[in-house]
Amino acid sequence: MTGAGLVRGTLVRGTAVRLAAAVAVMLGAATLAFAALQLVPGDPVAVLLGPATTASPEVRAQIRDDFGFDRPVVVQYASYLGHLVRGDLGESYQLQRPVAELIDSQLWPTVQLASAAVVLAVAIAVISAVTTAGRPLPRMLASAWELVAVSTPSYWLGIVLLTFFSFRLTIFPVAGAQSFSALVLPAVTLALPVAGVLAQVLREGLETALAQPFVVTARARGLTRMAVRFRHALRHAAVSLVTLTGWLTGTLLGGAVLVEVVFARPGIGTLTLQAVANKDMPVVIGVVMISAFVFVLISTVVDLAYLAIDPRLRKG
Amino acid sequence: MRFVRPTYALTGVTVAAALVLGACGSSDGGSADTGSGAPSAGGSVTYAVDTEPVCYNVHVSQQDITAEIQRSVVDSLVFLDADQKLHPWLASSWETSSDFKTFTFKLRKDVTFTDGTPFDANAVKANFDHIADPKTKSQYASTLIKTYTGTEVVDQYTAKIGFSAPSAPFLQAASTPYLGFYSPKTLQANADKLCSESPAQVGTGPFTVADYTKGQSIKFVKNPHYNWAPEGSAHTGPAYLDTLTIRVLSEDSTRVGVLSSGQVDGARAIPPANVSAVEANKALNVVRLQAAGGTYQIYLNVTRTPLTDQRVRTAIQRGIDLGKDVQAVYFGQYQRAWSPLAPRTPSYDKSLENSWPYDPALAGRLLDEAGWSGRDAEGYRTKDGKRLSLVWPLMPAEYVKDQRQVLGQAVQADLKKIGVEIQRPTFDIGTFITKGYGGEFDVLDSSWARPEPDILRVFFNSASSAATGGQNASFISDPQLDQWTNEGAATLDTKIRDDVYGKTQKRVIDLAASVPVYVPTTVIGISKQVHGLTFDASSWPVFYSTWTDKK
Repeated sequence: MTGAGLVRGTLVRGTAVRLAAAVAVMLGAATLAFAALQLVPGDPVAVLLGPATTASPEVRAQIRDDFGFDRPVVVQYASYLGHLVRGDLGESYQLQRPVAELIDSQLWPTVQLASAAVVLAVAIAVISAVTTAGRPLPRMLASAWELVAVSTPSYWLGIVLLTFFSFRLTIFPVAGAQSFSALVLPAVTLALPVAGVLAQVLREGLETALAQPFVVTARARGLTRMAVRFRHALRHAAVSLVTLTGWLTGTLLGGAVLVEVVFARPGIGTLTLQAVANKDMPVVIGVVMISAFVFVLISTVVDLAYLAIDPRLRKG
Repeated sequence: MRFVRPTYALTGVTVAAALVLGACGSSDGGSADTGSGAPSAGGSVTYAVDTEPVCYNVHVSQQDITAEIQRSVVDSLVFLDADQKLHPWLASSWETSSDFKTFTFKLRKDVTFTDGTPFDANAVKANFDHIADPKTKSQYASTLIKTYTGTEVVDQYTAKIGFSAPSAPFLQAASTPYLGFYSPKTLQANADKLCSESPAQVGTGPFTVADYTKGQSIKFVKNPHYNWAPEGSAHTGPAYLDTLTIRVLSEDSTRVGVLSSGQVDGARAIPPANVSAVEANKALNVVRLQAAGGTYQIYLNVTRTPLTDQRVRTAIQRGIDLGKDVQAVYFGQYQRAWSPLAPRTPSYDKSLENSWPYDPALAGRLLDEAGWSGRDAEGYRTKDGKRLSLVWPLMPAEYVKDQRQVLGQAVQADLKKIGVEIQRPTFDIGTFITKGYGGEFDVLDSSWARPEPDILRVFFNSASSAATGGQNASFISDPQLDQWTNEGAATLDTKIRDDVYGKTQKRVIDLAASVPVYVPTTVIGISKQVHGLTFDASSWPVFYSTWTDKK
């Protein structure tokens, strides 16, 4: 086999392994979600209707029949997986709309919010870490704000920001997702704690890199301090930053629940909250599947990013 | 493999946060009341609500918020005003048979749905048949017409609605948005889309739905052809407002904040803790509205020992310092209740007020008489070595409203003083319902808004068990309560109704089947630039005659 063929073979095998892992994660998530649905105690129809209801036995029978609650669990599981394979997430019990359509309509505001927050968080973290690494006083000040940011609950931060910038100064409206100005406060709320974590980790990495001999070499070639930091040291420290950013982006879906409620934004978080409160399991399962998919996607992107950052990883 | 964090694990935290951080200051809105000059058309109003309807279809939904919001879109046969008086609306007149099994409505001839379909007896039939059809899975409307047998189209503008049992409360039900009318065309073409899709919402109302953005807002625009307002309305013809926007702001402090800073014109469900701040705001008015219907009550399960003993039940009823507890938890905004019915409900028995005051000494004597005279190390009463202990489960947080868990703590503390232990375990909703409906708890609590004393039948008639879609949480089976509530459902004669419902309210208190706690109240904050906002019998706002100075 030629060298090129060998590389292609490795690539194909790598892709196949990655795909198989992705399918396994999705299947696991689907099964867990289904199991959770089965583990909710009590009559599913009663759970669906909630405690304050006067629904008649006929209506209950109709609901049971429509959603197939009376079929054996194995049959329900098989049919559930069958639907999933065909990309059919089912229909919401309560909203009477296809789950895929619901998620589709609510995903964009959350993606907007999460991406804005990630970009902002990384920018803040890079600036905060690069400018302060290895300098005692700025380092101490920066660490202090990062610690505060990390330990502030996001819903509280959100309400404080709202009170000042929206209710008192009326700079940023609580207008939902319609305009850019309405995205500023929620994105900041979501970004600050993330930025705090990222900055601390990045500074740690930078300081390790700055202690290495290549820094002295670079300085000797006539590069400025800042240029060394941004062009050489940052690249070394970036691997851990990318890993952590990937993981945090996934968890932002969770954090978005609180921020979306406080800022009254539509989105996956609000949808999930309503679905959980109303025990609308097809929607909850749909959201779990989307989260699993996002995690798989992000870890793939992160792995690819390693290759871009670190040339040593590109060989075999 | 990485662990997938379920995004919904944070629900409880959000709710708790909403409660803790409910307090928030108000800013000066600047503008003072401009006085209520002559009404003028045009402009728009934005109104913030605390929950979004799960399903917008009035025939399906059991939520108050659905009816409240959709009132702008669907009209009803009759209108019940805030004084509980019936007025003609889509029906110009009506007759009831002497057995209250048949209701004949003469319909207005000039009404059209916003899709151009005329409103006539066939439309009435199509709507009622749709509600009664099990396939609709109606969670509430169908129970308002439980014994519906069918609608006879006598002629194009006369509809005869039949029931298999006496149904005097039907006229009140017919006034609610739950029995409002959708265009037969949309019922046929979009039956499965009425829950969530705005173009499907075709009614005869003063507004039409322009747009829903799930989780954010609902926008209504004026129906320019509207000319069939209920009798007694402040004006006729189309609504004054060009657009009406409902904003969903579930977080209390956000809702109060946008109201105080003038980003919305009005907001409902102002938390009691924030009312004084809103009142102090010069740009805002505060409207308090007691809901008619069932008060918030603590039901004592009369089939479980030791609550089978009436003396124990009465001791509990008299051993809670309700006046003080309600005052403290709700900052004086909610009124303490004296009857299973709220004061604004027809046939409310005012004589019950102050008739069973807090009396811990009496409670103690009654418990002694009942044999609970021993005391254990923790100070609780005992009988034959057994502690006097009752189980009152807490519902999962998402079902608890009005900070009732805090009120529950006050009740618990009061009862501890007379030696009664109250345990408040938390269950998931499935277990809660299974055990609750199975009568396995000593104490349950709930409130139920409906401006019709017939709700007493839902609560205290032995035929109204949870298994058949009733709410008899005391599990009481009393021949007199059954007889009176059945009699009330079979007549519209106010004298007879006042009599039987008065006796029912008294007997419930005498038997101590329930402990009425407070009168559910909606507090609305509204800009002084908005005028002419009225309310119907259910305390829901009616935006038809509302106008604004802000153009």
